[in-house]
Amino acid sequence: MSDITEPHVVGRRTPRVDGVDKLTGRADYTVDHRLEGMLYGYPVPASIAHGTLESLTLDAARAMPGVVDILHHGHFPDLHRSPNSIRQGDAVSEVRLPFEDDRIHYHGQYIALVVAETFAQARAAAFRVEARYHQEAGVMTGLAASDDEGEEVRHYTRGEPELAFGIAPVILDETYTMAAESHLPLEPHATLAEWREANQRLVVHESTQGVFYQRNALARIFDLPPERVEVISHYIGSGFGNKLFMWPHAVATVAAARMLGRPVKTVLPRQQDMMTTGHRPASRQRIRLGAELDGTLASIQHDSLTETSSVDRYVDACGGATPSAYACDSVATRQRILSVHHGTPCPMRAPGEASGVFALESAIDELAVALDMDPLALRLKNYAHRDPQRGLQWSSKHLDRCLESAAERFGWASRDPAIGSMGDGDEIIGQGMASATWFAGRQPCAAEVTLRADGSVVAACGTQDIGTGTYTIVAQTVAELTGVPVERVEVRLGETRLPAGPLSGGSMTTASALPAVAAATREALAALKEVATGPGGHFAGLAPAALDVEAGTLQADGRQADFAEILARHRLSGVTGEGSAAPGDERREFSFRSFGAHFVEVRWDPGISRLRVARVVSSIDIGRAINPVAARNQVEGAIVMGIGMGLLEGLDYDPRDARLINANASDYRIPVHADMPEIDVELLDYPDYRFNEFGARGIGEIGLTGIAAAIANAVHHATGKRVRDLPITLETLL
Amino acid sequence: MRTFAFARADSVARAVEHRQAEPGSAFVAGGTTLLDLVKLDVMQPSRVIDINALPLTTVERLPDDRLRIGALVTNTDLAYHPDVLADHPLLSQAILAGASTQVRNMATTGGNLMQRTRCPYFRDAAAACNKREPGSGCDARHGVNRMHAVLGGSRECVAVHPSDMCVALAAIGATLTLHGPHGEREIDFAHFHRLPGTTPHLEHDLDDELIVAVTLAPPLMPLGTAYVKLRDRASFEFALASAGAMLSLDEDLIGEARLALGGVATKPWRCREAEALLAGKRADTAAFAAAADVALADAQPLAHNAFKIPLARQAIVRALREAARRAGEDAT
Amino acid sequence: MQETTAHPPEAAVTVRLTLNGDPITIEVSPSAILLDVLREQLGLTGTKKGCDHGQCGACTVHVDGRAMNACLRLAVMCEGQAVTTIEGLAEAGHLHPIQQAFLDHDAFQCGYCSPGQIMSAVALLEDHRIAGDVATVREAMSGNLCRCGAYQNILAAIQDVRLRRHAQEGGGDA
Repeated sequence: MSDITEPHVVGRRTPRVDGVDKLTGRADYTVDHRLEGMLYGYPVPASIAHGTLESLTLDAARAMPGVVDILHHGHFPDLHRSPNSIRQGDAVSEVRLPFEDDRIHYHGQYIALVVAETFAQARAAAFRVEARYHQEAGVMTGLAASDDEGEEVRHYTRGEPELAFGIAPVILDETYTMAAESHLPLEPHATLAEWREANQRLVVHESTQGVFYQRNALARIFDLPPERVEVISHYIGSGFGNKLFMWPHAVATVAAARMLGRPVKTVLPRQQDMMTTGHRPASRQRIRLGAELDGTLASIQHDSLTETSSVDRYVDACGGATPSAYACDSVATRQRILSVHHGTPCPMRAPGEASGVFALESAIDELAVALDMDPLALRLKNYAHRDPQRGLQWSSKHLDRCLESAAERFGWASRDPAIGSMGDGDEIIGQGMASATWFAGRQPCAAEVTLRADGSVVAACGTQDIGTGTYTIVAQTVAELTGVPVERVEVRLGETRLPAGPLSGGSMTTASALPAVAAATREALAALKEVATGPGGHFAGLAPAALDVEAGTLQADGRQADFAEILARHRLSGVTGEGSAAPGDERREFSFRSFGAHFVEVRWDPGISRLRVARVVSSIDIGRAINPVAARNQVEGAIVMGIGMGLLEGLDYDPRDARLINANASDYRIPVHADMPEIDVELLDYPDYRFNEFGARGIGEIGLTGIAAAIANAVHHATGKRVRDLPITLETLL
Repeated sequence: MRTFAFARADSVARAVEHRQAEPGSAFVAGGTTLLDLVKLDVMQPSRVIDINALPLTTVERLPDDRLRIGALVTNTDLAYHPDVLADHPLLSQAILAGASTQVRNMATTGGNLMQRTRCPYFRDAAAACNKREPGSGCDARHGVNRMHAVLGGSRECVAVHPSDMCVALAAIGATLTLHGPHGEREIDFAHFHRLPGTTPHLEHDLDDELIVAVTLAPPLMPLGTAYVKLRDRASFEFALASAGAMLSLDEDLIGEARLALGGVATKPWRCREAEALLAGKRADTAAFAAAADVALADAQPLAHNAFKIPLARQAIVRALREAARRAGEDAT
Repeated sequence: MQETTAHPPEAAVTVRLTLNGDPITIEVSPSAILLDVLREQLGLTGTKKGCDHGQCGACTVHVDGRAMNACLRLAVMCEGQAVTTIEGLAEAGHLHPIQQAFLDHDAFQCGYCSPGQIMSAVALLEDHRIAGDVATVREAMSGNLCRCGAYQNILAAIQDVRLRRHAQEGGGDA
C-alpha cells in the first residue's frame, strides 16, 4: 500500500461530512423537494384484504377544492410490468402495477390516487373517495393461524442429518416463531416525478436505496431508454431494506405526472407506508439438533416457513447462515413460503438471517442447558475453523476472539448459571449470549474522481448513503490517497447521472464502493502526474512513476507542487479519473463472512412483570472499520433494533380478515430512548485484505443477528421460561 | 382529514356561544387528541373553536386550601407545579408517566379529561365501532383485543380510557367546573366519564359546556403515593395496566387508602371497595393482595387480554407497597 | 382583548407570529397544520414529518420555548406565538452547541429524526424542572423516535452539553 500517505484517514474516527447539513435541516431528503407547479398525490387504500373492488364513487372527492384528477383502475395508462430481475438491475418490490385490475390482494392496496394542488387538499379529497367491495371468503391471515406448510423453494443438505439426528444421544427439536416486523424508516416512502422534453425524459426524486434499480425499472415500465430516466436520492431517511426496490406508489406518481403534465409528489402517510411498502415476514422455524454427550454437534436441521403475499413470491431465507455456522458434518436447511393476504414482504435488515440466527442461537442455548454446558463453551467446542459449507478457508475469522473479548468485558465468568439465581432487590438478573454472523459480499461499482483547480476534489458514485456514512468513507478514501483533507473532498452520491453504483443493501456498499473510488482516485492522480511531467510541467522530464503524492501535492527530488498549482500552470479546470471494481476470483479460494458476539443482561421484575434489557456487550469482527465512529453507531443501532425484535415489535393482523390494525408509530412499538440499555461495542481490527484493499467488510446488518437470541437466552436464565416466540411480551412471562 | 371552519374565542361565554350555535363544532385546546383523530377521519368537526386565549391557565390555592386548576394549564405545567408536587404528588407522577414531553407540553388539563380511546378499531374509520358510529358493531370484542378493557365493558364497547392523569384524579377526587349556555355548574369527577353501556358514543356529561376548571379534593396527610404503569416499552406508550395509590399511615396501620386503575377499564377506575377493605389494616402484602382481589373481582377477560387481570393485580400490589413505604418514610 | 373571530373552511385566516426571531404574517386555511405550513408554504423543510400523529417527534419545534409536535397543531393556534424551527437554531453560521455535540458524538445516522431530536434536546436543557440524570433524560427524550437507534450517542451529546454548561455556570468540579 505504498501509495497511502500518512497520517491515515481511513480507519480514523471522522465526523460525518454530511453532518452539518443533516443537523441544520439543510439536507435535501426526497420529501423536502418542491418544484414549480408541483401537484400532490395522496393514495386511497383498500379497506379489505381479499376481494374485488366493485365500484368507486368519486363525485364528492372530485368536487373538493384543488382536486386535479383521481387515478384508478378505470383511469390509468397501460404500462408494462418490470421484468423484475436482480441480475439485469430492474428488480421491483411488487411486480403488480398499481390499479392493474380490480382485484384486492391486501389491506391498504391502492385503489386510487388523488392528485390536488396542495397536500391538504389531496388528503381531504382522498377521504371522500367511496369504495364498494366484494369481500371474498378464504382470506389467508398469516402462518401463525395456519398449519399450512406452504411450498418448498430451497433446500441444502450435507452429510446425513436425519440419520445422525436419529442416533444422537442428545437431541433437541423445537419450533420458533417471529411476528412480522415493520421497517418503519422515519422518512416515509416518497416520490417526486417530473417529465421533461415532451414526456421523453423523466426525472424522479425517490427515497431509495438503489437509484439505478429504480431507473431501470421505471424505464421498463414506461418503455423509455434507461438513459432518459434520472433518479435522485441525495439523502434517505433510512430504509433498512424496504427502500431497496421500487413500490407501486412510485409508478402511480410517475404516471400521474405524465397524465397531468405537471410534477407530482406523493409522500406516503405513515399508515399506508406500513401497509404497502413491505415488512420482514412472519416466520416459523423448526430446529433439530443432535449432539454427542461432550457437546459435539452431530446434526443440524433447520426448516423455515416464511410468508409471502398473494401477488409476489418473496423468500426470506432464514437458513442462510446455518450451514456455515458450526463445524458439523450433517446439516440440512429447507425453506418454504406461504402465500397470505398481507402486503408483499421484502428484505429487512439482515433479511432471513436475523430470523434464522434467532432460532439457531436459541436452540444452541437450549442444547447447552440440556448438556449442562456453558453456552459459550458449547460454541467454541463446535467452532468452524474452515467454512464447512463450501469447504474453503475463511478469509479472516475471529469469532473466537469476539466471544472471548465480549465475555471478558461482560463478566461472563461470574455468571451463576442457575436459573433466577442473580437477584437485585425486586429484580432478577438474567444473562445470555449468542453469536452474530452476516455474509460479506461485493457488487460491481464505478466511480469518478476529479482533482479540481482550486485544490479540492470531487468524488462521484451512484450509490447511496442511507445513514451508514457512505459520504464520509468515500471522502476518507479520497483523502487517504490524495492527502487532501476530508473537508476539501466533495462527495456526490445518489444520482443516476453518476457512475453506476451498487444498492445500499446487504452490507455491501463499503466493500463495493471504496475500491472503485480508490481506482478512480489513482486514475485522477495518474492523469495529474502525466500533466506534471509533461512539457512545461513542474516535473517535466521525470517519469510519472517517480512522483509521490503527499498532502495534496506531488513530490519528487525534494521538490513539490500542490495539485492546484499544477492544474493552474496548465490552465486546467481539473483532471478526472474513472475507476471501477467488482468481485474477482477471491471467492474460489476463500469464504467471506463477518462475525460477532452479543452478551446481554436483562432485568426481570416478577412482581410487576417488567422485563428490560439493561446491558449489552458486543464484539464484532468486520475487518477494518473505515470510520470507527460510524461503524460502532451501526452496531449500537442494530442492538436497539434487536431489542425491538426481541421484546416489542410485531405487526398485528386481525385474524378474521387480515386487516392490519397497528399500522402506526405508536401501536407498532419500536424502542424509544428509555428502552436503550448500556451498550458497549468493540470493533475488532483484523483487516480482511483478501476481500479488498481496505480490508473492510460491511457492518450495517451483522449487529442485528443474534441479539434477539441473546435476549431470549437471558430471559431463560432469569425466569426459567424458554420463549420461542418473538416478540417476548410480558404476558408470556407473567 | 376533513377541512373545517374556525373561530377564536376571547371569552368563555363566547366560546360556549359558538359551540351552541354549531352542533358539529369542537373546542381545541392542545389539539393532541382532536387533530390526531381529525386526520384519521374519526372526528369530523364542522368548526374548530380555539379556546387558547381564554384566561384558564393558572393553578390557584382556594381559601379552603384546595387547588383549582384552570382547564388550559398544560400537563407539563401541572406536573411540575410546586403546589401539585407538594399536595398531590400522585397527579404529577401520573402525568409524567403519560405520553411524551412534547405532547405533555401541548395537552391541557381539560383536554386530558376529553381524551379519546386508543382502540385501533375506533381509530380506523373502516372498522365497526359503536363509539365512533353508533349501531355499527364492535370489531374489538372478537378481534385483536390485547389492549382492551377487563373492567366496565359492555357488549357494545370494550375500549379503554387511555388517560394517566385521570387515574390520579380518580384517586385524589376532584370537582369539575363546567360553563354552559345556562352558566356554571360543578360535577364530581367520578361522575364525569360514563360507562359505555349501550351508548358508548356518549362518553361524558357535557351539554354544550366547556370545562373551565378542575378542583382537587384536599390531600391525605401524611401521605404516600405511587403510580405504577406497566407497559411493553419503557416510555411513550399507553398502559397495559396502571395503578395509582394513596395511603395515609397511622403507625403501621393504614388510615385512609385511595386506589384507581388505568389501562384496564372503560373509564378512570376508582376502587372504592378495595379502599374500604384497606382502611385500618396493617400495610402488608396480604392486605394489598386482598385489596387487589376485591378491585378485580368483576374483571371480564376477552380473548387476548386475560393477562391484564393478573397484571393489574401486580400494579395494585406494587403501587400500594410503594405508597406505604413512602408514607412510612414521610412519617419518620 | 382581541375580538372573537370566525372563519369558514375555505377562508384564509391571517396569523401573526414570530418565526425564528422574525415577525411574520401569513394567510392560512383554518384547518392548516403548522407542520404543513412550515414545510409546504414557508419552505422550512428542516422540520420533518415522520408520522403526522404525534407519535415520532420528527416534527418537534419550539412554541414559546416549549417543544411541541408541529403535526398536532393548527397554524391558526400560533397567533401571537414565537415558533422556532431547526433553521432558527444556529446563529450567524455557528452551530448551536447541541448541533455541534451531535456532530462530535455521531448522534445520528440517516439524520431524518435529528432536527426533532435537537429541538427536544435544546428545550430539555433549558427546562430546569427536568432533572439532568440519565434516566430522566432518556425518559424526557422518549417522544423522539430514532429508528437508526443512535440513542446512546444522542444521550452522550446532550449530557456533554449539560456538563459544559454546568462548568461554564461555575459548576466548578463538573
